[in-house]
Amino acid sequence: MHTRTALLATLLLFAACKKEDNNVKKDTYEDGVSTVIYDLAGDTEASVGEGADGKVMRPFKPFFFRFNGKQQSWDSSATNRQSNSWDIAFTDVYNALVYPNSGTDGRNPGYGGAGKGLIVMVDKPYASVTQAPTEAEMKTNNLGFVGWDGYPQPYNDGWYFYSLQTHLAIAIRNRTFVLLTAEGKFAKLELINVYKGNPPAVTDLHWPAPYFTFRYFVQEDGSRNLKTP
Amino acid sequence: MLLCLVCFQTYAQDSSLHVKTLQGVDVRAVRMEPLTSKASMPVTVISKKALDMMGSRRLDEVLREQTGLALVSDIGAGSRAVGVQMQGLGSAYIMVLIDGQPMIGRNSGNFDLSRITVSEIERIEIVKGASSCLFGSEALGGVINIITRQNITNGRQAMAQVRYGTQNNTDITLEGETPFAAGKADASLSLNFFHTDGFNVNPYLTQGVTAPPYNSYSMQGRMRYKLGPAHTLSFTGRGALRTSVNESVYGTGMAANKDKMNESDLNGSVALLSSISNNWKLKTQYYLTRYESNQRVSNGKATLQRNEFAQYFHRLEVQTVNNISNTVSVTGGVGGNLETMAHNEFINGNAMSAAFAYMQGDWKPGVKAGARLGFRYDYHNYYGGRINPGIGFNYSPFSFLDIKAAVGTGYKTPGFKERFQVFTNPQAGYTVVGVEQAASVLASMQANGQISEIRPIAKTISNDLKPETSVSYNLGITLTPVKMVKIEVSGFYNDLSNFINTVQVATQTNFQPVWSYINLKKSFTGGMEANVSWAGIKGLEVSAGYQLLYAKDRGMIDSVKSGRYPYNKVRNNETGETRASKASDYIGLENRSRHMGNVRVFYEYAPLGMSATFRVNYRGKAGYDDANNNRFLDKYDTFIDGYYLLNASLEKKLVKDKLSVQLTVDNLMDYTDMLMPAQPGRIVMLGAKWRFTGNTQRINQIKE
Repeated sequence: MHTRTALLATLLLFAACKKEDNNVKKDTYEDGVSTVIYDLAGDTEASVGEGADGKVMRPFKPFFFRFNGKQQSWDSSATNRQSNSWDIAFTDVYNALVYPNSGTDGRNPGYGGAGKGLIVMVDKPYASVTQAPTEAEMKTNNLGFVGWDGYPQPYNDGWYFYSLQTHLAIAIRNRTFVLLTAEGKFAKLELINVYKGNPPAVTDLHWPAPYFTFRYFVQEDGSRNLKTP
Repeated sequence: MLLCLVCFQTYAQDSSLHVKTLQGVDVRAVRMEPLTSKASMPVTVISKKALDMMGSRRLDEVLREQTGLALVSDIGAGSRAVGVQMQGLGSAYIMVLIDGQPMIGRNSGNFDLSRITVSEIERIEIVKGASSCLFGSEALGGVINIITRQNITNGRQAMAQVRYGTQNNTDITLEGETPFAAGKADASLSLNFFHTDGFNVNPYLTQGVTAPPYNSYSMQGRMRYKLGPAHTLSFTGRGALRTSVNESVYGTGMAANKDKMNESDLNGSVALLSSISNNWKLKTQYYLTRYESNQRVSNGKATLQRNEFAQYFHRLEVQTVNNISNTVSVTGGVGGNLETMAHNEFINGNAMSAAFAYMQGDWKPGVKAGARLGFRYDYHNYYGGRINPGIGFNYSPFSFLDIKAAVGTGYKTPGFKERFQVFTNPQAGYTVVGVEQAASVLASMQANGQISEIRPIAKTISNDLKPETSVSYNLGITLTPVKMVKIEVSGFYNDLSNFINTVQVATQTNFQPVWSYINLKKSFTGGMEANVSWAGIKGLEVSAGYQLLYAKDRGMIDSVKSGRYPYNKVRNNETGETRASKASDYIGLENRSRHMGNVRVFYEYAPLGMSATFRVNYRGKAGYDDANNNRFLDKYDTFIDGYYLLNASLEKKLVKDKLSVQLTVDNLMDYTDMLMPAQPGRIVMLGAKWRFTGNTQRINQIKE
């Protein structure tokens, strides 16, 4: 009898502990002001290794993104690259190396154009970044691009890193980048995930990528105010 | 909860008492105790009765319920890579034996225990701690010995069992045995079919599952022929085939990742067992096993992963047990192995050979004390010779107290993979090369313009990668304050050196690294295990087990202390603040739980032919992966939450015990976690078993 009571008690205890939804904690990114982009497909046809036929597959095609109007463009012509029609470019392996549109930086896809882009890291949660640094500060701390954190040099701040356990890419949570758009407006950007569906952790080596989840806010009035709810 | 977990003992350990000597046997075959029973490190035994009462279908289900054992997914090796962890040591360091002989076929070191059906198992013996003294290379962390049905024929009999349940899980077993040749011989055959639709715990999948579906077909046979009063010839054979297709789709309108696997597993042996005298037994055995895996993941456009290999292992061995006197017995053996491998990723070097000799003396001068001392010498055709000792003592100052102490050593020679692998991940683009291929592969990649940088360490990647080694210490006491209560508490410590780790030797022009292998890690796992059991009422056994574990990489501790990038910092992923790291920030190796435990109730009410079990297994929080890019596990990283799994079973025997009906529920509360892709949710199974028999005597004995 005692055993039975004990079992019942244990059962109830565990029923109370049960968790729902396979431990998936979904964050909400919508704050009513920022633009949230879900699962924007990068060059999903490319791969860095060998294809089924044994040939080396082609490298990733870069794409360009304009904040205003959420415009993705695959036009890699010099005319488009050197224009102000884009604010950030997704380049290289997994399209994960992100550049602002700068006409003056020799490494930048927009080199030679009119882009005024700069990018700096503010290592804080997105909502708590309320004011952009001054343009002078941004010029001093300009990262040029953001990709693999600490690579190729420890001072190359980035938005993701590769796991040593799985070799999968892991985005660094609550890291924000402040940038100047092509036209020189202050904006903030959070790059959230490269895997489809924005899972909290990737549990499959073959999880489809690159599908970008990111959010941004552009201060249209030209001020440094980046306050979002 | 934990306090009460500490207070009981595992059923499994206690259940060894239930393996009773069977009597009234016509063919009294010559038999030898398995070597696992002679290990100096602690041995846990899971009996046939416990297996029957639990109603488990596959071996992984049984082992995940044992104190200190955990089933963990190796995400980095693909969705099919699952292995058993023991005292915090990974599957690559746990040897799996079938009737004392090694089983082969691993996926990046992970031995998938779901390959094996429980239906062919008579008993499982688990040795915790380094035991290369008896088993040679690979027994670095422990040994799992599966003892298959050792039929003692008393007549012709057969059994048929069908079980069906959740996810179309279907388990069908047919077995029979018969004596022949006027009682001089006996034969048995067991057939099993198992199907599962798999199980999905990933809410992002719109099609496909995380624990793959499969069909498994197994056959096991044994024949014994008594050549005379002193000699018995024994043949055993086992064959298993498994096919599996899993098509995973993430989201709508996406192409499926098709993961197809076929594997086959063969084990065969011929043994001559001889009783030279009453006290001296000899076994001469040839053992052959072959494992083949053909796995391919593709998305219709490209092959994403391939794991295609065929492996053979041959062993010729002579083993002897000699009871020299009432107080001294000697166990020894000599033998040789030949192993071959053909793998899609390995280049050259497809054979390894080894020879070995071992001897152990057991001395028991009286009821109060005993000692054992053993040595084994292994010679590897490339890595040369190695001696592994093992030593154990026990002392009982009082009838209610027994003290045991043991030290064992273990080692593992680098495998085919660490020596000959050449692999480029088709998706991520990184390359891994075995040490004996590194120089030529780097040279040709450089010639092709694929290399942007070769690191200085590449020069030290040479052909002399050393075997991994371990020393295990165990100290335990067993208390029997009253007859119905048994308390066992032990401390363990495994000191591991020369662990093989990957190291970046070059960077490719696509930014991706080239990895090779190096002896780098010094790690340790240590802790305590407690088991308590109570058998106060007839038919009722209550037991509990607990393991406390600390598992750390000493190299990582040094890296954090040295303040080198990237180990020099800890980022709080909630606030974004980064501060300097301290040694105390390092939690330990990934996928290890500080606390694990279980409580079990096994009850049998003979007058009604009913039995029931109820088991709770707890696994504490365990690290999943780095989340803040400092390459070590700290509190801001990703963790698998602690959880309880509840399992229950109920069985009723009918028709003079010929029929038994059993209901089993595994994971009663349906607890699942996306971070544990191989752990299914609730599985309910209903089954019926019928025994055909001319003589019920054996069945009664088995049930005892």
